Amino acid sequence: MLTKMLAQLGIEEERVRLDWVSASEGERFASIVNEMTEQIRELGPFNRNNGGDHG
Amino acid sequence: MAKLKLGLYWAASCGGCDVAVLDVNEKILDVAEMADIVFWPIALDFKYHHVEAMPDKDIDICLFNGAVRSSEQESIAKLLRAKSKTMVAFGSCACFGGIPALANFATRADIMERAYIEAPSNDNPDKVLPQIKTQVAEGELELPELYDTVLTLAQVVDVEYFVPGCPPPVPLILKVVEAIATNNLPPPGAVIASDKTLCDECDRKKEEKKISKIYRPHEIDPDPERCLLEQGILCMGPATRGGCGALCINVNMPCRGCFGPPAGVIDQGAKMVSAVASIYQANGEEDIAQMVRDIVDPAGTFYRFGLSDSMLKRKRLQRR
Repeated sequence: MLTKMLAQLGIEEERVRLDWVSASEGERFASIVNEMTEQIRELGPFNRNNGGDHG
Repeated sequence: MAKLKLGLYWAASCGGCDVAVLDVNEKILDVAEMADIVFWPIALDFKYHHVEAMPDKDIDICLFNGAVRSSEQESIAKLLRAKSKTMVAFGSCACFGGIPALANFATRADIMERAYIEAPSNDNPDKVLPQIKTQVAEGELELPELYDTVLTLAQVVDVEYFVPGCPPPVPLILKVVEAIATNNLPPPGAVIASDKTLCDECDRKKEEKKISKIYRPHEIDPDPERCLLEQGILCMGPATRGGCGALCINVNMPCRGCFGPPAGVIDQGAKMVSAVASIYQANGEEDIAQMVRDIVDPAGTFYRFGLSDSMLKRKRLQRR
């Protein structure tokens, strides 16, 4: 529901990810964080543009 | 005591807030006793130049309803701010953007396209759109500029008080009038309503907050005694400020959130998503997918009155 709503608000779905990692899966945790970081880096900064100069 | 000077204005609104002021019925005479109305476009024939001619801070209280989405509305908001001692954002549109703020899911270009070209009732083969300046034989004509983004009043000028509601209910209006009359206004910045959520003030029987099916209001005949949310109807009570008198709830309709977020909540829609997600009983992916399908328009439902006031303010524009 959150991703559906964020899409309506113009936010790329790649910016949100839900995953499950057990406390014993250190390597998996690191690789997910790295993947996510890489993905966000590709998307670039999140400019809110906030309706500035009236949008 | 000298009579107070009262000004009222409407910007991007439907007129319901002005009608709500008249709905105080015979109490309007008390208002007239206590105050001279010096500007009220819906009811009295004062023009902008009359306001411009007033000294600064001449109006004691200005009740401003409607959101701000055009250059005209912005300039009148600034004019009235300069001429008023106390500025009140009156009604959900002035407070949070209200229904007009749903336009923040689109852009000005989308709106023009839809209203003047796409809509089936148009006959506009040359695709003429309203222009800010138009040359005609008699000279130049000017229209206010429509903004891409619908703004709240407080995003344009400083505001002392917020009176939410679509429209503000009569008892709340009388409370404001009385507070003005007895010089008993709360500290500036206050929202004149309740500090609790609507759920806190709702008399319905609440049992266990667990739902496994979402119903739209027309799909179910709800039990008039039990909590609507527990019956699977999306009621905005948990994420909405109380003080409205639960008018919708009392006629078996769910809260739609017109009183905005309760004290301490920044983003009404996000709060409601979190409330719904935490009470929905899902057994596996398919249940979750079903819920997402059943909530047809989450952003429009949870930000129905508050998109301008939300953290994102509008649909993000993919623009650098």
